[in-house]
Amino acid sequence: MLSQLKRIDVSRYSIYVILLVVVVAASLLSENFLSSDNIFNVLRQVAVITILAYGAMTLIIGGMIDLSAGAVMAFSGVVSVMVYKSTSNMLIAVLAAVLVGVACNLVSAFLVASLRTPAFIVTLGMMLIARGAVLELTQGQNVLQLGDFVLIGQGNLGWLPIPVLILIVVTLVIWYLMNQTRYGRSVYAVGGNEEAARAAGIPVERVKYQAFLVNGVLVGIAGVIFMSRVNAGLPNAGVGYELQAITAPIIGGTSFSGGVGTVFGTLAGALIVGVLGNIMNLIGIGSYVQQIVMGAIIVVAVAYDVFSKRGKAKTTILKSDAKGETVPPSGGATAAPPGGARTAS
Amino acid sequence: MKSLTRKIIGIGAAAAVAFSLAGCAVTTGNPTGGDSTDREAKDEYRVAYIARAQADSFAAWLANEMKSEAEKYDDITLEVFDGQADDEIENRMIENAIANRFDAVIIQANNADAQLPYIQQAIDAGIVTITTNPRVEGLTGGNSVDADPYKQGAVVAESALEAIPENAKVVVLNGPAGNFHSTARRDAWQKEFFDKRTDVEIVAEDIANWNKDEALTLMEDWSLANPQIDAIISMNDNMAAGALEAVKGKSAFDGILAYGVDGTPEAVLLIKDGTMTATSLQNARELAELNLKAVHDLLTGAETEVNTDIGNPLITVDNAQEYIDLYKEAGLITE
Repeated sequence: MLSQLKRIDVSRYSIYVILLVVVVAASLLSENFLSSDNIFNVLRQVAVITILAYGAMTLIIGGMIDLSAGAVMAFSGVVSVMVYKSTSNMLIAVLAAVLVGVACNLVSAFLVASLRTPAFIVTLGMMLIARGAVLELTQGQNVLQLGDFVLIGQGNLGWLPIPVLILIVVTLVIWYLMNQTRYGRSVYAVGGNEEAARAAGIPVERVKYQAFLVNGVLVGIAGVIFMSRVNAGLPNAGVGYELQAITAPIIGGTSFSGGVGTVFGTLAGALIVGVLGNIMNLIGIGSYVQQIVMGAIIVVAVAYDVFSKRGKAKTTILKSDAKGETVPPSGGATAAPPGGARTAS
Repeated sequence: MKSLTRKIIGIGAAAAVAFSLAGCAVTTGNPTGGDSTDREAKDEYRVAYIARAQADSFAAWLANEMKSEAEKYDDITLEVFDGQADDEIENRMIENAIANRFDAVIIQANNADAQLPYIQQAIDAGIVTITTNPRVEGLTGGNSVDADPYKQGAVVAESALEAIPENAKVVVLNGPAGNFHSTARRDAWQKEFFDKRTDVEIVAEDIANWNKDEALTLMEDWSLANPQIDAIISMNDNMAAGALEAVKGKSAFDGILAYGVDGTPEAVLLIKDGTMTATSLQNARELAELNLKAVHDLLTGAETEVNTDIGNPLITVDNAQEYIDLYKEAGLITE
């Protein structure tokens, strides 16, 4: 029995342990925390960021990044609101949001995958383009009187809030894509070692397009939920959301160097941030201190995660840089070998 | 060693001579300014309007009204610049306006103290300079067309003195830390309401950065932690609307009072609907009309100095329709 317990790799579950500690601490600090109202409250609040975080996670695992998520979310959400106001058709409105998200991301994908421009720069540019476009479209004014559009963000299906239902469905779909499909394995391989993946016959450019496509769909869905939740089309919405979206997967064990990360780790990362924000509001901690705590938690969580995995990277395959020379991977995380083996957090 | 000492002494002496030749006058900004007294009549005047942030819905409305109003003047060409709610960018915009020799510059300061020396440079360069929304105090010369944030907060706070019940519990939503408008409005609430109504308890107060979504999240949490909240006191309408969204449909918060500032289209609709209690209007159209009239009068010599204020009308359910009509006319409410 003891020997079996010893075989459990505790470090692999470190992020969930941290989440559990945060939840237990929160429930001790406030009697309201574990009420069903508050649990749904937290889940509603984290839905948008978590959906964006899955997109960010996909790109980071694939060795890319998206700095435009907040601005594209605002653009797609506002377009969706406008389409709904003129058609009164929810399906068309959601499709419009997804279309805008996908279009922006495919432009980024073309520049990143086909023209080999760094994703950081491309998506930084896309952030400005999307923000400018939505401000021009609305002339900086909020779009009001949304009618039944608010149902997606504020409605319930039975006892389950619709944003939470969407979050559950998206989580399962992304988990399936990343773990059970060739696409998912290819994303890990490309992010782990692009040259090796190419040598192994993986269509690297196509995988990058697909990763941006998935991100675009998620950003579009997030835009609809966001605008519906606040009952307005806000052109200046989502400022800084791209960084919050990146924070969740990083806390959840996704490696900035690519090739490493899990869907449930990202979910745990988003929940840690959401629960911390919630409990600090419940017990009346001001936003200045909240920022200090959030910053400290991010640093501690990532440091602990890296520390707990130290020494387990002995079988690391040497990464290849752009010139074909071998370099050791950084941060103690294992680089994925070509073919798709991956490290779970 | 001796040679090094000589060199140091030589450099020091040269620096001293250079300073004395310059009259020891150290100045800031573009040194190519003219004098306001030598202004000539022109067929066309170039006016720069430096907006605080065009992503801010009120500032965007004001910028649009400025452009519309400028079209009524044949001799004025207005160029709008976006300060992006960033002091450094706004200051750079003012410097550019001076360097590009605009005839006049209208400045909507992001932070009065941060922009003050740059606005003074524009005045010293002989450019007709107007500060608006808010007036920048402490300048030598210059003109202003103001919507005073203290008065905007005060008119709403005074209306709440009677309306908020005895021993009420309230929550307060503030704008970004250090923001001039938020600070002045909060100051007005303190002096005109909280200092006079010591029975009222603030159960939660935080910054929601003017944002509807941040106010929504805060109020979702606060409403769980505090079963009794009688009023939402917000430094702008956007945050008040977000907080109201959080308690919509919750019977425990039926009849909650909500106060904002700005008189946005959304707020007047909520007030008409009976969901929100009161706000005060910053009328961008009135500000634009007075600014363009002032700049035209100053450029053509009809006036030598203009310092004027627009009103801060209180909007309640009694007069909300009047403002809905105003917004419909401006195209900001469509139905």
